[in-house]
Amino acid sequence: MIVDHPDTAAWVAERFGWQTADPELGPQVPADQLVALATALRDELDFAYVVYCVAVHYPAEDEIQPKFKEGEEPPPVIPAKPDRCLVTYRVRRLGPGTTTFGFHLWVPTGETCPSLVDVWAGMDWQEREQYDLVGVVFDGHPDLRRIMMSEDWPGHPLRRDYAIDTRHHPWR
Amino acid sequence: MAVTPSPTPEPATQRVGGLELPVELLRPAWGDPYLDLDDYDAESDVMALNLGPQHPSTHGVLRVKLFMDGEVCVRAVPYLGYLHRGVEKLCEKLSYANVTPIVDKNDYVSPMMNELAINMTFEKLMGCEPPPRAQVIRTIVAELQRVASHLLWVGTFCLDIGGAIGGGASAFMHTFRERELILEIFEELTGCRFHYNHHTVGGQRHDIPAGWDTLVKQTLDHIERRTFEYEDMLTENPVFKARTIGVGVVDPKLAMACGVSGPVLRASGGDHDLRRDAPYAAYDRVDVDVQVRTEGDIYARYLLRLAELRESIRIVRCLIDDIPEGPICALKAVKLPGAVKPKPGFAYTAIESPRGELGTFVVAGPGKRGKGGPNPYRCKIRPPSYHVLSLLPYIAPGENLSDIIAILGSLDPIMGEADR
Amino acid sequence: MSISPFLWSVIVGFVMLNVVMLGTAFLMLFERKFAGRMQNRPGPTEVGPNGLFQPIADLVKLLQKEDIVPDKADRGLFNLMPPLTVTFTLVMLAVVPFSENILVADLNVGVLFLLAIGSIQIVPVWVAGWASNNKYALLGAMRGMAQGISYEIPLVLCAAVPVIYAGTFNLTEIVEAQQGWGWFLWWPPGPGFFAFGLFMLCALAEANRIPFDIPEAEAELVAGVSTEYTGMKFGLFYLAEYLHTFISAAVASVLFLGGWEGPGPDGWWWMMAKTLGLFVAIYWARWTLMRYRSDQLLRYCWVYFLPLSLLLVAAAGTWTALVGLPS
Repeated sequence: MIVDHPDTAAWVAERFGWQTADPELGPQVPADQLVALATALRDELDFAYVVYCVAVHYPAEDEIQPKFKEGEEPPPVIPAKPDRCLVTYRVRRLGPGTTTFGFHLWVPTGETCPSLVDVWAGMDWQEREQYDLVGVVFDGHPDLRRIMMSEDWPGHPLRRDYAIDTRHHPWR
Repeated sequence: MAVTPSPTPEPATQRVGGLELPVELLRPAWGDPYLDLDDYDAESDVMALNLGPQHPSTHGVLRVKLFMDGEVCVRAVPYLGYLHRGVEKLCEKLSYANVTPIVDKNDYVSPMMNELAINMTFEKLMGCEPPPRAQVIRTIVAELQRVASHLLWVGTFCLDIGGAIGGGASAFMHTFRERELILEIFEELTGCRFHYNHHTVGGQRHDIPAGWDTLVKQTLDHIERRTFEYEDMLTENPVFKARTIGVGVVDPKLAMACGVSGPVLRASGGDHDLRRDAPYAAYDRVDVDVQVRTEGDIYARYLLRLAELRESIRIVRCLIDDIPEGPICALKAVKLPGAVKPKPGFAYTAIESPRGELGTFVVAGPGKRGKGGPNPYRCKIRPPSYHVLSLLPYIAPGENLSDIIAILGSLDPIMGEADR
Repeated sequence: MSISPFLWSVIVGFVMLNVVMLGTAFLMLFERKFAGRMQNRPGPTEVGPNGLFQPIADLVKLLQKEDIVPDKADRGLFNLMPPLTVTFTLVMLAVVPFSENILVADLNVGVLFLLAIGSIQIVPVWVAGWASNNKYALLGAMRGMAQGISYEIPLVLCAAVPVIYAGTFNLTEIVEAQQGWGWFLWWPPGPGFFAFGLFMLCALAEANRIPFDIPEAEAELVAGVSTEYTGMKFGLFYLAEYLHTFISAAVASVLFLGGWEGPGPDGWWWMMAKTLGLFVAIYWARWTLMRYRSDQLLRYCWVYFLPLSLLLVAAAGTWTALVGLPS
């Protein structure tokens, strides 16, 4: 049953209960529900076109204690963040009035992200590229190998800490 | 008197992905490109042929490993990355204003498109709108670039079918002669024949010189006359038709699932064009007549691109006469690196490039003192050629080698964009 | 002083060989300039006045290139094939008469000899593709072989039409049977015209010329059969292709266009004019048309050309049976 909901974020909030903070990123999806959301988007809301799957690497940060003056309330400590990747997706419904819808999840380094190849065929190469360049491992991908770099390349070039502690110098 | 209700007619179209597609275009399923042939047995009847990175017709450096049973392909495995230059990593080190010349070199056939896409995203992050004059110039320049790109496509496609020594070369020379005229127009405007560095955050860098619109109108008249020559040469040519009709049919559902838009999707029946459906720049002022065909084969893509060429000429003619006066850039001093510091956030914009949806997703990172950083945190370019190449493992099996070359040519992949 | 026929044959052969080989080189230049003008550019202009010394420059370039033999290629066969291809083509030249006297060997089975050598000529090309140990060369060789043997049959049948009309295989006598303006192209009316057209098309296919040049299709097969060949060996393959085209044009002028006769004094000049005219038509088609796919090529041969040429032979035979041979 295809629904043409004008506000996809509201539909997702109603169906799954996830709120959207940033309209460009969309709702944050727990990893075990990713395939369910994707299937619902494709089958019910008719988002059949893949725009992208992008992984952004955020290196580990230490705990930050913001500065405060003497006598004031100490502001809350910004907690330490582990080494993690933000994996964002975007899909599109074509035709007149085309809209896109994005959703994302945070994948800590060491964990895998479920693959959406079975939902949209185009996620195949997108996930391979993000694996190759950022290092996110997609669980369930039939052929996860490097696509841009050569097969035996060490490291993942688009990580923020790449070219610092590898022997590949930056271009400057 | 009993009235027998007339049977409800079978629906002629089916709604897929937001488009109403004729039912006869939708095939039941497409093959699985990961099926068997995991280990290549050298003693079997299947021959592994490397359509290697150096090849006269793979549109840049693309390697496709074809497993052939005689002349028929059984499986195709594309290997990318031969032109990977680390553009996305480079963008993380450059300031926002300096990204444009690097991104120019992605889709090296239509540089204005790359610049437009990335600068639109930067403007979305900054929250600034280019002035109307800049919007109209952007549209004119984008459509001229589309004409040049399609002219190049016609020429190189004839090379693929007809031979670099032979009839293809004649068509190639003729279309390049016309493309030179467009490059001269751009040289008048920006100073460069190619890789212009013309767009910037907030508008354009170069203003229109005096007499430019007359030059553009004369050139477009000339090119439009020549398109009729190309039609004479190719459209009813029996050899051309024998090589292209019925070859390389792409299922629109597969195209959508792989993220393919542009002429490939429109030739397969998908009525989708970002210029009409999600207008950017000055496209809301013009009525873009989107060309759609239903056959989905190479001939349809050829006719479609020729029609789009003419449509672009028409759009430029609509706009060239009333370009609004005013500034061409919303921000001053964009030349200084570091002048552009958008607040931390995410943005995605997409334009309709001659190959499909060209989009850029930019993550603006935090900088000092609560403002944004001078460099993008992550710059992702969503190239249409990358997705079009991912169609190859699905549509190549079962085709002759000659047909695969023709199909690859008609999909119009540009490796600079696919590999970045 | 009368020259013995053998000595005359040797002299004529030597002269013809040189003239044809040099002429082909300069014909290549002419083709390049012609093609250039078709493509809105002047063609070679740098070397010599108006590019006239370009063939010499090309020759020197090819001679000084490094001679690379692939490691796993069959060395003997690999090196033998280019000169063999050229040799077979030049042997065909032996029976083509350029005038009553300018002729190396006046064979009574001239046409048969030509067709036989023409069909052997496919073999070195195929062996070269196999011996290169290269998949592209192999594909080109297989396609070339399939195309070559398929188009042999309509070629032979169309060449049979003037043979039937003249009643002899001897090329000189075929030309003499077309005395006056009774060229087999238009008299007897009907079959000759179509036989000429089909003969030219089959000759194009035999010589691997566009629109039938799938065996060396550059866009697909890099250089087809000659992919692994460098320098002069590569040059010899292309020379052989040109020579084959030239000789096909010469044979067509002898069989259908009346050979060395024309309005005014007969002689070798008419023969050369007709041959060059056909040659220009052939490469005009080359620089205009695109190539057919190999299975389409073979289909046209077996489904259209073959029945048509059988019909033409039947029609020619009927005419000769009813009207008789030319006296």
